[in-house]
Amino acid sequence: MSLDDLYAWMPQLLVAAGGTLRMTALAYLVAVVVGLLLALARLSRHSALAGAAGWYIELTRGTPALTQLFLLYFGLASAGFVLSAFTAAVVGLGLNYAAYMAEVYRAGIVAIHRGQREAALAIGMTNAMAMRSIILPQAIRIIVPPMANYAVSLLKDTSVASLISAPELMLRARDLSSEYFLPMQLYLLVGAMYLVMAYPLAKGARYLELRLAAGRASG
Amino acid sequence: MNGPWARTVAQFPYLIDTLLLGVEMTVIVTLGGFALAVILGLGGAVLRTARLALLRAAGTLYVDVFRAVPVLTQLFIIYFGLAQLGVKLAPVPAAIVGFGINGGAYLTEVFRAGIEAIHRGQNEAALAIGMTRMQSLRIIVLPQAMRVILPPLGNFGIGLLKDTSVASSVAAPELTFRAHMLVDQTYLSTQIYLMVAALYLAMSLPLAHLVRRLERRSARGRPA
Repeated sequence: MSLDDLYAWMPQLLVAAGGTLRMTALAYLVAVVVGLLLALARLSRHSALAGAAGWYIELTRGTPALTQLFLLYFGLASAGFVLSAFTAAVVGLGLNYAAYMAEVYRAGIVAIHRGQREAALAIGMTNAMAMRSIILPQAIRIIVPPMANYAVSLLKDTSVASLISAPELMLRARDLSSEYFLPMQLYLLVGAMYLVMAYPLAKGARYLELRLAAGRASG
Repeated sequence: MNGPWARTVAQFPYLIDTLLLGVEMTVIVTLGGFALAVILGLGGAVLRTARLALLRAAGTLYVDVFRAVPVLTQLFIIYFGLAQLGVKLAPVPAAIVGFGINGGAYLTEVFRAGIEAIHRGQNEAALAIGMTRMQSLRIIVLPQAMRVILPPLGNFGIGLLKDTSVASSVAAPELTFRAHMLVDQTYLSTQIYLMVAALYLAMSLPLAHLVRRLERRSARGRPA
């Protein structure tokens, strides 16, 4: 590897890292929103709704994200419904992480004492109001640390989207590797780039965990 | 009748036989990676709890680096990168080594948390009656720490089982790889990947059930 190689690679890899970050952010957004809806469905009094959400969560968590991406990308395409690889990756990873997030939300909501909800209902709030203004604000403290940790794993899991040719860092590295035949240098470089992105995120997650845990003990 | 579902039914014995070969390899890669991860995780935890600051720093470096890089990147470094340097590993050993090293970083933290959950006095008492630090760890601390360690260890195993699907990209002939080959032959992508999903479920759901039972048992057994 010469310095020239590095000059040739870096602009491309940086653009690709942008793709990784964009994919992470969008999939995370999908997961945060769909995860909350799933958690609410799972805790709903309508047993059909709760059952359906429970099944979704079990089935999604029981299979690899890669299989889900293949189904979404190749499976839908064979049915005549062609998604771009990037969209398939965002939707696939988002829906996959939503199942994990749903359990995080649920744990947070369930941890809030029942009396809080009963008191809210007693002063005339509807169920939805009680959830929004009383329960969720308290549950947030329990929910945030595991959610932050999922952001770190999602960032790394976007690498799997390269296997459906979604434009992100790993895909670019593989392309460059087949062009330059320097896989060791390229994958070490890309590994370092993931480290640069994931490490601060992991430290941030750890900080949130410690801070919110401290708040809980004294509050 | 020549639709994809009819063809799937007609070819079902061939499809399922091929996929089951992949299941076998998935189990082998999972077990191999798990065993290596446990060994490295124990080593990492010993480093992380060592008295020498240098050893502790080495343990922290291992954990921080290998947990911050995707396992796919690590697999590519081990499979494609090492081959470039003349160290040619076959796909399955490469996958086992990759998942083992990556998993070891996660298990280091699991084991460390388990060890630190055991009261210091246990270790001190073991040393006081003349045990070495390693003896104390093996005979006194770890057996008690197992209660804290087992549930996350089980969850790690389930995660690993699913993550081995990524080994298809280094041509390890596990379930997902076999599925690829079948899709290339038959173009039955939806049908085959649904079968693959069902096979992963058949492995992961019983495991998840087992882990949940362990979790409940260890919660119950915790001293009041």
